[in-house]
Amino acid sequence: MIVADKAIEYVTFKAGDEYLGIETLYIHRVVEEVNVTPVPLVPTCYMGLMYYRGEVFGVVHAGSLLGNSEATVGETPRIIVLKWSNKKLALVPDHITGIWRVEDNKGGKASFRFQDYTVRIVTPEEIWEKVSGLSYGPHEV
Amino acid sequence: MGRTSIKNKLILSFLALLLIVMVVVGVVNRVANDFYLAQAISTALALASGVIFGSIFSKSLVKRLNDLSNVAKQVSNGDLSKEIPLLSQDEVRDLEEIFSLMVCHLKGMLSDMKNVSLQVQETNANLTQLTKKVLENSQKIDQSATAIAKGSEEQTLIVQKTSLKVDDGLKEMDEMLKQSADTVSKINEARHKTETGELNARKTLKHLEEVLKQMAEYAQPIYRLSRRVEKIQLVTKVMDDIAQKTDLLSLNASIEATRAGEIGKGFALVANEIRDMAENSKHSSQEIETLVKEILEDNKAVIEALSRSQEGTNKGREIIHGIVATFGEMLSGVKDIFLQVQKIEEVTGKQVQQMRGLLSYFHDLSRLAQANFVSTQKTTIATKDQEKDMKEIVNAMKSLNTLSEKMIESQERFRLSAGKETASLTATNGAR
Repeated sequence: MIVADKAIEYVTFKAGDEYLGIETLYIHRVVEEVNVTPVPLVPTCYMGLMYYRGEVFGVVHAGSLLGNSEATVGETPRIIVLKWSNKKLALVPDHITGIWRVEDNKGGKASFRFQDYTVRIVTPEEIWEKVSGLSYGPHEV
Repeated sequence: MGRTSIKNKLILSFLALLLIVMVVVGVVNRVANDFYLAQAISTALALASGVIFGSIFSKSLVKRLNDLSNVAKQVSNGDLSKEIPLLSQDEVRDLEEIFSLMVCHLKGMLSDMKNVSLQVQETNANLTQLTKKVLENSQKIDQSATAIAKGSEEQTLIVQKTSLKVDDGLKEMDEMLKQSADTVSKINEARHKTETGELNARKTLKHLEEVLKQMAEYAQPIYRLSRRVEKIQLVTKVMDDIAQKTDLLSLNASIEATRAGEIGKGFALVANEIRDMAENSKHSSQEIETLVKEILEDNKAVIEALSRSQEGTNKGREIIHGIVATFGEMLSGVKDIFLQVQKIEEVTGKQVQQMRGLLSYFHDLSRLAQANFVSTQKTTIATKDQEKDMKEIVNAMKSLNTLSEKMIESQERFRLSAGKETASLTATNGAR
């Protein structure tokens, strides 16, 4: 496989009734089998707190935050751990579909076709803003 | 004092008189000096003594005969109260004694006659009462005989009707006996069929046991296969977990490679390959899992089918067990019924015989009732005849009563004694 210089890789996942993609640059790790401790008096999409390798992450359900679905997860969900610009957040998708390499996204497309479905590209900041817009949003680290 | 006849008495008296005369003559002869005078005086004295002696002697004899004659006259007049004095021991005494005895016998006879008459009257009265009772009883007998005759007639009718009914019952019992014999035959046939059915059910049960055994043997590999497939499923799950982990690892490796930039491109390539391999492995494990699931489902379906078949066979076995038991019970019941029906047949046969005997008795009873009817009619006639005879007896008794009254009247003409016999007879009558 020939990799172009300007190529960007996106981790694609399903959140509610749509597919989303986040650039792998913002993804610190994809983990599973991690205990999420529920926090009282927070919005339903905010699933709680997660401790991973010496750090505490706020865990948010991607479907209910971005895809207008209920905050339900499987038995061992995979959690996308995001870290960017001194900010950190853990995102729980319905399921991760894979990594998609886009050779050149000069036009700044907001979505692209991946396999048989359309993937909307989201940035961590966008997610952060959404979370901040909630009644009790996360704070900067 | 000994008995002295009149002749001897006369001789002795004469001799005594002669002695006295001779003494007197002797005295006279001694006193008188004259012989002739003495003879004359002696003759005169002798004649005078003879006359005196003769008159005294004849007077005493005539007096006694006159007394006897008077008593006889009084007896002839019915007065038996007079008694004859017995003073001497001569032939007149015999006559007096015989006469006294005759009077005494006559008294006794009259007393007996009176007693007999009274007894006849009493007996007549009793007989009259008895005759009345006999008449009443005869009437009652007549009534009873009439009732018996009526009863006998009704009895005859009832007996005849009963005989007809018994005869009908006998016919029905004969029919029943025939049906019982048919039933016994059919029950016997049913018993044979039940025995055959039980035998067949036992054979079926034996075959079913063999089939079950074979099915259990056939099911063992399937169970083993199921266990092995479950193990495969576990292995597949492990493979799937490994693939998942590999996928996650490759995902993170890709992310790390991306973060490494140009240096991590080779690593990203490897990571991609690994992710593809993990994906393939995941797909393969999923396919295997799908196949295993299908195999397990099929196996489960086979096991379920086997189980259902086994359950069905078990149920069939239970049913056949039940059928065998039912056949056994049926056989036992049929045997019992057979014995009972045989007993019923025997009892019915005995009943038929008894009914026949009863019918014979009824015929005899009918004959007896008819004979009884005839006898009672004869009894009625006889009682009527008896009534007539009794009336004649009553008339005869009335006549007898009249006769006895006449006899008493005749007897009452005799006066037995001054007061003794009359009082005794009156007392006797009063006591009676």
